[in-house]
Amino acid sequence: MRSKRDVSYDGLPRAMLFLAPALAIYGLFTLAPIAATLGLSFTNSAGLNSVARFNGLANYLSLAGDDIFWIALRQTILWLALHVILAGGLGFALAIAIAQLRVTQVFFRSALFLPHVVSLAVVGVIWAKIYDPFFGLINGGLETLGLGFLARGWLSDPALVLFSVNVASSWQGFGLYMLLFLAGLQNIDHSLYDAADIDGASAWRKLIHVTIPGLRDVMTFIVSLAMINGLKGFATIWVMTQGGPFYRSELITTYIYKLAFQFQEQGRAAALCVILSLIAIVITVLFNSWREKQP
Amino acid sequence: MSARSRSEWPVALGLAAPFLFLLGPFLWLILSSLKTEDEIATGNPFNLPQAAMLENYRDAWNIGGFGDLIFNSLVNVIAVVVLTLIICAPAGYAFAKMRFRGASFLFYALIIGLTVPLQAIIVPLYQLLAGLGLLNSLLGVTLAQVGNGAPFGVFLMRNFFRSTPDELVEAAKIDGCGHWRILTRIFLPLSRPALLALIVISAMSTWNDFFLPLVVLISPEVQTLPLGLVRFAGTYTTDHRLVFAGTVISFLPIVLLYLATQRRFTEGLTQGALKG
Repeated sequence: MRSKRDVSYDGLPRAMLFLAPALAIYGLFTLAPIAATLGLSFTNSAGLNSVARFNGLANYLSLAGDDIFWIALRQTILWLALHVILAGGLGFALAIAIAQLRVTQVFFRSALFLPHVVSLAVVGVIWAKIYDPFFGLINGGLETLGLGFLARGWLSDPALVLFSVNVASSWQGFGLYMLLFLAGLQNIDHSLYDAADIDGASAWRKLIHVTIPGLRDVMTFIVSLAMINGLKGFATIWVMTQGGPFYRSELITTYIYKLAFQFQEQGRAAALCVILSLIAIVITVLFNSWREKQP
Repeated sequence: MSARSRSEWPVALGLAAPFLFLLGPFLWLILSSLKTEDEIATGNPFNLPQAAMLENYRDAWNIGGFGDLIFNSLVNVIAVVVLTLIICAPAGYAFAKMRFRGASFLFYALIIGLTVPLQAIIVPLYQLLAGLGLLNSLLGVTLAQVGNGAPFGVFLMRNFFRSTPDELVEAAKIDGCGHWRILTRIFLPLSRPALLALIVISAMSTWNDFFLPLVVLISPEVQTLPLGLVRFAGTYTTDHRLVFAGTVISFLPIVLLYLATQRRFTEGLTQGALKG
């Protein structure tokens, strides 16, 4: 009788032949920079040619006393919440609507997914035109409807700018969430609906008692995916406002770019990078543990 | 079922509003890109173009250098996809079907990379690329994108290979096959859905990437399409007809490609997201 171990134990050297290419390129271009970011965040590095000296927690302390950091942090959280609500919500609503269709489902699904294939930077250019106060689609539409008093500078109004840019970003992002919700809906056991029909349940009660519980796994996955995607939100902001006016659309990602490549404060930028990583890790861990606690 | 298809109309009608919100912008851009500067600047945005100004496209194409931008983006995407497949399939196989000491340690090392966004490592990554002489080079961008996308690719392939029966490996071993032959002769032909997912997802994220190219690619002649369009739109802020035409040039190829392959495209995307 052969022992299972003889057949299946391979040893690290043999496995390394398969792993080495991926580990090498990942180690060099991602893992090493992660470690280096942490190290750099404790130095006063200020650009490529400067000599970096250890300065302890000075970068973190200076961020803690930096108003723009707190604005960027607050707005990043608001940005994530808006993205989950707008893009996730629209994805959910449209998936529910489309799932009922038989004849036209494929048509609607492919058509509604279209914004997602356009890159976020291009979406930024598109929506900057849509929001243009003089010839843009939105103000023009409001004038045409006789609602001209609602027209405004969607990207220049400090109170609106974060929301306006988020709409553009969510417009691009929702398609993937819609597809994932649709995939989740297909996995719900159809006999549950038949049973609900026999009980005479309304469409609303079926949504609350069958559909939403059936989507729970997909939903937590999509919320964490939407948060991670939102956390990377840079392109639309950068293209449309560069964080302005008055920092009112500044996110942590845009502030990292400014600190590192415009102000040449690489040590402080690295400290902000560490904070961004921590937020990403916390989101991932929280959602996974929450997900595992669900029945 | 006739009862079902009759009940379909109210839903389809209800979808008209979201449909307009999602597709209206495309239509408006295409129509605007055919207008004269005068029509855009002073006319109602809902007016149809008086005559199709196709020269907007010719001018935008020549002034913006869109041919080079599209070429650079294509080279970037193809290189990332090929490299990603070559490195992730064997690594995914090793994690799924080989037993070795240190497997869980290496696995956790990969998990970190799955969570940390590229924005969070940009400072040392920039220094590294500078040190390697890869600033302002598509090769530098490509290598960094492959390294950053590797954890997802390895997870995707691993999860797919794990769903195949171990007996396949054991039987092939008894027939005298090594792991390399098992991977290339048995598993790769089986894993078309996973490979498709990996191709779609890495191609799309590379084609759309803006942050890394913005940081690394300074000279116009090495820039990729999103970066080039943004630079173009920033330079010609008052030539709206050019920017509209350039924007349409930037999204039309990918939109047409999607429409031609939409089944496989969306299948790959959902498969990959749910399996990875």
